Parts: sequence; structure tokens; C-alpha cells
Amino acid sequence: MTARAPGALDLGKLFAARLHAARARPYLATALFALRPVESRQVPTMAVDRYWRCYVFPAFVDRTALEELAAVWVHEVAHLLRDHHGRGDRVARERGLTGPAERLRMNIAADCEINDDVYGDGLVCPEDAVTPQKLGVPAGWLMEDYLRHVRLGPPLDRLGWLDCGSGADGLERAWELGPDGAHGLSEQERDAVRFRVAQGIRGAPGSAPQSWRRWAEEVFHPPQPWRQLLGSTLRSAVCAPGAGEDYHQGRPARRSAGVPKVVLPSLRRRPPRVCVVVDTSGSVSDAELGSALLEVAAICRALGGRRDLVSVLSCDAAARTVQPLCRAEGIELTGGGGTDLRTGFARALRTRPDVVVVLTDGQTPWPEARPACRTVVGLFSRAGGSYDENDPDHRPDEPPAWARVVTIGSGPG
Amino acid sequence: MTASALPVLPQLDVAETLLTLLRDSTTEPRADIQLEALTLAVAADLPVLLWGEPGIGKTAALTQLAAALDLPLTTVIASVHEPSDFSGLPVVGDDPAVQGVPMAPPDWAVRLVRAGRGLLFLDELSTAPPAVQAALLRLVLERRIGALRLPAGVRIVAAANPRSSAADGWELSPPLANRFVHLQWVHDHDVVVRGLGGTWPRAALPRLDAERLPEAVDFARRAVCAFLQARPGLVHRLPSGESRRGGAWPSPRSWEATLRLIAFATAAGSSRDVLSLLVRGTVGDGPGLELLASLDRMDLPDPESLLADPAGAVLPERGDLRQAALDGVVAAVRGRPERARWDAAWALLVRAMETGAPDVVVVPATTLASLRREDWEVPAAVERLAGVVSLSRRADEAARRSVRTAGARR
Repeated sequence: MTARAPGALDLGKLFAARLHAARARPYLATALFALRPVESRQVPTMAVDRYWRCYVFPAFVDRTALEELAAVWVHEVAHLLRDHHGRGDRVARERGLTGPAERLRMNIAADCEINDDVYGDGLVCPEDAVTPQKLGVPAGWLMEDYLRHVRLGPPLDRLGWLDCGSGADGLERAWELGPDGAHGLSEQERDAVRFRVAQGIRGAPGSAPQSWRRWAEEVFHPPQPWRQLLGSTLRSAVCAPGAGEDYHQGRPARRSAGVPKVVLPSLRRRPPRVCVVVDTSGSVSDAELGSALLEVAAICRALGGRRDLVSVLSCDAAARTVQPLCRAEGIELTGGGGTDLRTGFARALRTRPDVVVVLTDGQTPWPEARPACRTVVGLFSRAGGSYDENDPDHRPDEPPAWARVVTIGSGPG
Repeated sequence: MTASALPVLPQLDVAETLLTLLRDSTTEPRADIQLEALTLAVAADLPVLLWGEPGIGKTAALTQLAAALDLPLTTVIASVHEPSDFSGLPVVGDDPAVQGVPMAPPDWAVRLVRAGRGLLFLDELSTAPPAVQAALLRLVLERRIGALRLPAGVRIVAAANPRSSAADGWELSPPLANRFVHLQWVHDHDVVVRGLGGTWPRAALPRLDAERLPEAVDFARRAVCAFLQARPGLVHRLPSGESRRGGAWPSPRSWEATLRLIAFATAAGSSRDVLSLLVRGTVGDGPGLELLASLDRMDLPDPESLLADPAGAVLPERGDLRQAALDGVVAAVRGRPERARWDAAWALLVRAMETGAPDVVVVPATTLASLRREDWEVPAAVERLAGVVSLSRRADEAARRSVRTAGARR
């Protein structure tokens, strides 16, 4: 490297640190190399903007050890990969947060999300990194959760200098180059970089820690809110042709009288019968059942308008009696043993429903053949699968392909 | 004359003046990639489905689009029609056994056919009963209304509410979803606020450049074929899982649509952001992003031409692309190892180090060094890579120190 003027940015040290970071975290190499360093005397340390520029204060590079600089590189790129600026904007809008103090809280919360597991394994943790431990909250949360617990005040006063740029909290700074400045990445380019990183992590999942794997799974397919998904699935099953309201030319419409010779169809409404089969075996918790059942009952009532068409059946190893939903206030769910939903299906089909809704954790045998009605399965998610001490290799059957499956309890509800 | 005796009409005139004042707004130019994508898809004669909450300006966008394409706009609110309005009303004649029962089309369809051209906007698809939706889909896909066939000059755009907010259970089955270009329509907060203040955006819509057409077709074919050659698994993949139902997914049909859209976007000189909306709306997010990433790679300079002229080589500015280009050069040397090519690659690495960040050169340099044959002498240019070597050594030392620090803390 050539000799540099005093006070100028030590690019050699900065790039050596980036190389160390890329070697320690190979799955982040694409993102690290896509960052463009920009010398700036207005940032306290290092900061990023949403266009993937990395602002660096020369004196910070001089006084910081190379291995710590590498950790800062990874930290800053994590802000961008995890879309902290977009999420910060959304949170600010949803919760009505304005002003620089709120953005500082967001920056601290975002730092916690990154710092709780990004270091170690070849990367040192900078001395002054903000961690959940220092705030006295559990690790492993998301930025939005930490934000509820970050209070500005005496313990955090010394963090007033903390500033990771608009890439960390969404607030544009005066010293940033902005959307029209040189070497910014367009939205499509940013997506492409994030996509390549996510693909790399999914391709070699063993090398990345849990939180990065979770990020890679969800970055382009965030988990669906299950309530809405269950609702729309049920609605589409109930409203599909043949089950609900539709046109028939069997009987001419009333307006036919006005247009002689033209055959007009008429609208006929035939509310669907819905039978809800509830898995009441010991493995499904009461809270889970309660929340899901409320949704189903609400949807069915809204659809049919006639509660006598909705019935509920609780089922463990044996199917219990079918109860009409007229007595909605007190649906009695009995059971608690093992599960065999086949008896539940058989019992439900005897009521000749148009739609069967099954709420279960899936640890049951399924009917062999497709039943003669539409089937919606609300599946309580079980991380890690089930475990049977007599048969540790046992895996429960997947819900059959003919059923429409909504996973309940995963993602924001 | 007393106030109470004033005629009513002047009051309404005053109201009219007030309304005119309220309507009075100006426009300002503003890039709108949603509208640009919609324009390209309509120009490419692919059925478009706009997904968006009600009341966010889909109709306003369509009005602007119709004006830009110089097409008369026909809006049909699907939810207030009956299926026979789209499949044709059976009219019983004198002798049905001999003459058959003709299916009479509605008046707007007759007018559209007579005009020969137009933009047909099928609004509120999602609130129509299932039988109406079924009849509409025949109209969109086969372009038939009763006994009439819509002429080629008619372009069709449909709009639907997202599944989560649809009042009824509207959703597309995978075969139908595969035929549409799905565009998510979202409102821009700034645009709405500025518009209500009296200044609405005016988007400059893309114009196809007649001179670039052959080049655009060639580019689109190369892009899609090269990608599918490398990823055969993505040629056809049915959507799995409830959350992805009703959206775009890859199949030979949607890849053909993608090819067409790439050609249109190229001929119009549109940005990658516009192309990203179109491609992801046609084959889905995952395959679409992969295709776009492969387009980025296509933009990289050809390794062979880099090797042919290392002194005049122009390398990408962005670090990750630059490293990919250098990796490509090293891979080319590995594929056909010759002394001259090896030397040229070193010259390229030196050039890369002198024109950009040195850390991206480290991995290609290490790989290139390992390709050396015994009788090849190290070229003089390598000395100029001393900076890279020391950089690599500093990173190594830092890695050792990090391990020691971690050990000490444990």
C-alpha cells in the first residue's frame, strides 16, 4: 500500500478487515463485497444507508483493531440484509413513532437483533456492542420485540453517539449521499444480493447459525398470518361452486318477464353445511384449540348465517357426539387420549356436510380415500416433530394431498 | 328581492364552480415502475391481474394507461353482472331444433368488437360470484363473449382484491393463475399526499424502440434459455403450500410469457426494477429472482474477451460482481490452461487491484496461483500484487488473534 496522508482513510486496513469478515462468514461474502465504502467525517464510527453504501470515519479505522473492524463490517451488512430500514419505517408508521430519539431506539433494537448471535466463531465481539444482556432482556428476539423494551434513560445515555445510519433505522441523515448519489444499489440489485445470500445459506445450511437460517427461509416468503389464511381457505372451500351461492338456469329469473325469449338464470343460495372436527387428544393444548375454534365459528356464522348448519365434533381415539353450533356459547369438547381422526371423519361424513374442517396437530392416521366433500385442515405447528419413546424414529403421516392445509400458530397471528 | 326568494339554480352554479376548483390540479413527472410494468405487459398482450385493496387508484392508473396507448377504455364491474352477460344470453328463437339457440352478447361487447380496438378493464373480479368468475375467465383466456370473438386490438386487464381481504373465497386455481401476469398494486404514501394537495404524478410511459427489436428478442432468448439450461428443475414447478396458492408459478407457458416480457422491457429500455416486477409476477418470486440474478451474471464481461485484452478490460464497479467476473476469468484459464492465458489473467488481477478494492482479488489470485504448471515462470506482474498478499496476511493474522481472544474469554 502506498503511504497515505495523515487523517486519510486507511483503506488497506478496512479491506483486510472485510477479507477477514468474508473468510469468517463465507455465506455473507457476496453482501460484504457489494458494500461500497465511503469516507465520511460526520459518522461516529461506521454506518450504512439503504443504498448499500458504507460510511466510514477514518479515525475510527485507525483506533480500532482489525478483527473488531471485521465484526463491524458484518454488523453493518446484517442491518441491510435484515431490511432494518424498511422494517423501521413500517414500525414507525404502525406505532406512530416520530423523531430522532425513536430512531435511536430503533437502532438499538436492531443492534440487539444482530448482536445476540452474530459474533463468536472467528469473529470477536466489539467491547461496546449493544447486546440484549446489557439491556436485561432475553436474546433471540426480533427488532420489533426489542423495541418495546428499549427505554432511553440513564443506562443507555452513553449510547447517544450510536448511529448505524439510515440503513439501520430508515431515517435519512444529512450526510448521506441519498438515492441519486454515486454507487448506490437499485431496489432490484438489493433484492438480488439478498437473494444470493439467502440461497447460499439455504444451500449449505450447516455453516450458518440458526438466526441466519431462519432469515434465509423467510426473507422472500414471510410466514403467513394464519388467521387470515385459515379464513380465506375456509371461505373458498365453502363458497366454491356447488357449495354455496351460485347461478342456476333450472328456474328462470324474475327479470325474465321483461325480456321475453331470453332465458335468464336466477341466483339460488344454498348455504353449505360445515362440520368441524376437533382433535381433543392430549397433545393439543386448550389455548390452541380455543383460538382456532373461535375463528372457525366466526367464519362459519358469517358465511351461512344459519348456525344450525354448522356442527362441531370432538374426536380423540373415538368420535364423540356431534353438536350443533346453536349452543355456541358452550361447545363441550371432551377427550384427552390418543388420536385416530379416521373415526372422526367417518362420523362427520354421516352428517352429509359440504365442508369438513379438521383442527389437529397432525399426529394421527388419515383416511385412505378422499372424502366426498371439501376438507380444510388446520394444523397446529409442532416444531421438531413428534417424539414417541417406544419408537424414536416414528414420524407422523403428513396430511393427505386432497386436503387444504393451513398451519396454525406459525408466524404473526 | 329577498334572500329566501333567490332561485335555486345559482346555488348549484356556485357549487359547480367550487367543484371545478377542487378538480383543478397539476401534474409533475415522476417515475412509476408499477405503471411502467403494467404498460409493458399490456403492450405484450398478456392478461394482467392487478392485486390491490379497493380504492387505491387502480382505475386512475388504467385511465392513464388507456390514454398512453391511445385505446378507448371500457370498464366492466364484474360483481354487478350475471354469468350470461359474459357467456352470452340464450335467446330462444322460433324453431330451436333447427336454428339452435344463439348466445347473444351484451351491448358493450358488440361496441368493442365494432371498434376493433380498446382496453377492457374487468374490475372487482374478486367480489363476483363463482359462476360469474368462471364466465369471465373464459372471456380473458379465450377472448370469447357468447358468439363474439374479441379482435386482436383489444387488451384485457383484470383487478382483484388480495385473498386476505376478499369478502368471498375468490382464488385462482393453479392453471388459471399460470396464465396471468400478477402485479401487486400498492399506493405510494407521498404520491397520495401530494396528489390531494393538487399535484398528481405524470409517468413517462415506456416507448418501444423499433430499432432495438431484433436485439431485444435475441437478448430475451439467450437470457431465458441460458437460465433454464442451468436450472432444469425450474421449468415446471407447481406451487406447494396454502400460502402460495393463486399466485404466479413457473411452467413452460409462463416462461414463454417471461421471454416475451424481457424482450418488451429490453426494447423499451426499461430498468431492471420494472423487469423484476414483471418476471416475479409471471413465474413467481423465487424463480424470478434467480432469473434476475442470472441476468446480472449475463451482464458480466465475457472472460475470453477480458483475457484477450487485459490492458483495455473494463471490470464491473460493484465488488461482488467484480469478484464474480474475476472468478469467471480464472475458471476460463482452468478450462484451457495455457501459458499466455495464465499471464493475461495475472495482468487482469493487477488491473483489478489498481482500479478497485483489493480484497476481492485475493480469492481469484489464490486460485490462479494454484493453476501454475512447473515450467511456467511467475510473471513480473505478480510483484505488483504484493499489496494483495499483505492484505491477505493481515486478515490471516486477525483471524488467528480472534481465535486466541475467543479462547482467552472462554
